[in-house]
Amino acid sequence: MINEWAKNIARFFVFLFIQVLILKHIDLSRFINPFLYVIFILMLPIRTSKAWVMIIAFATGLTIDMFYNTMGYNAAACVFMAYCRPAVLKFYAPKGEYDTSAKPTIQSMGLPWMLSYAGTMVFLHHLVLFYLEVFSFHSFFTTLGIVIVSGITTVGLVLLSQLIMQRRRV
Amino acid sequence: MYGIIAFFRRHYFAVLFVVLEFLSLSFVFRDNYYHQAGFFNSANSVAGSFYKTYNDITSYFNLKSENTQLHEENMRLHNSISTIPDTTKHPKIAHVNPYGQQFNFISAEVIDNSTNQVNNYITLNVGKTQGITEGMGVISPSGIVGVVIGVSDHYAVVMSMLHKNYQLSAMLKKGGAFGTITWKGDDSRFASLSQIPMSEQVIAGDTIISSGYSTVYPKGVTVGVVEKVDPIPTQYFYTIKVRLSTNFKKLGFVYVVSDLMKKEKEELEDNAQKANNVK
Repeated sequence: MINEWAKNIARFFVFLFIQVLILKHIDLSRFINPFLYVIFILMLPIRTSKAWVMIIAFATGLTIDMFYNTMGYNAAACVFMAYCRPAVLKFYAPKGEYDTSAKPTIQSMGLPWMLSYAGTMVFLHHLVLFYLEVFSFHSFFTTLGIVIVSGITTVGLVLLSQLIMQRRRV
Repeated sequence: MYGIIAFFRRHYFAVLFVVLEFLSLSFVFRDNYYHQAGFFNSANSVAGSFYKTYNDITSYFNLKSENTQLHEENMRLHNSISTIPDTTKHPKIAHVNPYGQQFNFISAEVIDNSTNQVNNYITLNVGKTQGITEGMGVISPSGIVGVVIGVSDHYAVVMSMLHKNYQLSAMLKKGGAFGTITWKGDDSRFASLSQIPMSEQVIAGDTIISSGYSTVYPKGVTVGVVEKVDPIPTQYFYTIKVRLSTNFKKLGFVYVVSDLMKKEKEELEDNAQKANNVK
């Protein structure tokens, strides 16, 4: 149990660093703007109480906002994502219920499950984040393009990170 | 009473969502306030020292290009000094401004910067201790960079020119027509100049400089060159695409500009406005 806590805390810092030191400075195109840090919230144990997930998501979002100078934007997106998490988990639940040992990873739930779960959650997060950020700056469809392309990049990175973590067993 | 408690027990998750989302959005819509507070942004000691440590390590990789840039700037300054009349022989010039100089430049290092967001910010390694205050302009050896919007004791957050709320009063070096520079959010190399009347002659390659109308930048700092001119048939103004002279992807050392006569200028303008209102 303590092990599980330690892993989650380590994950928080590792992905925070990757986000603000590397991904923030990648400037390939304005359409590619991945927010990989959400993997931390995605990978919180399935049994975590939904209220805790939301409070943790809020704190994570605020931390990212502090480094990005986007006060409140990521927090709003993360809180929204956390609000949807129980419904998303329920929607993609395997027959019956989740095993008590089930974890939101490829290893535990399989690639199709992880892809649909991560895809839905990331899309919800990016939708709030980018539409809030532009606020009648770009056109509706440009923003939608940014949401979709960045979303696909983020999901790709989430799956890749999980495969790497799986190998190292962290 | 029991009804209320029962309601909260049943809907605690929705209530928590509404509270946290409302809190987040109130941060979003009071963005400027939190920047000025200098706490919930990259100028605070956690994020600031984090970026500084990282920059201390990575800045070595840019030393060569940084050096070339400084060398070129030195050359430009040497050239411009040689054209300034010697004030010791023309004492009148020295007395035009009682302060001797109007602008003071404070050297600063960029410790964090982004170019791919809709609203880009820059973090500098100078703050209140070095005399930085909100509203000061920031320029690089090659052109305008942005304006300081938040300071803590040792760090400052700068609104980059690449920000949807950024506006700059600029003018054509040739002809002297005034316009406003804004960023369209798509490309860190280009900005847009509006409000230049169609009666002006504008061609690609013309230089654009700061107008000096505000107290943020001195007059004549390079902004960029005209890339493309689009006359809009139904309007009286051009839309001009400007290639920015500052390379935002490679910002190393910059100068924070403090206007020594800012207070005097603003007081004068305030008084004039008051006098006008009395009438």
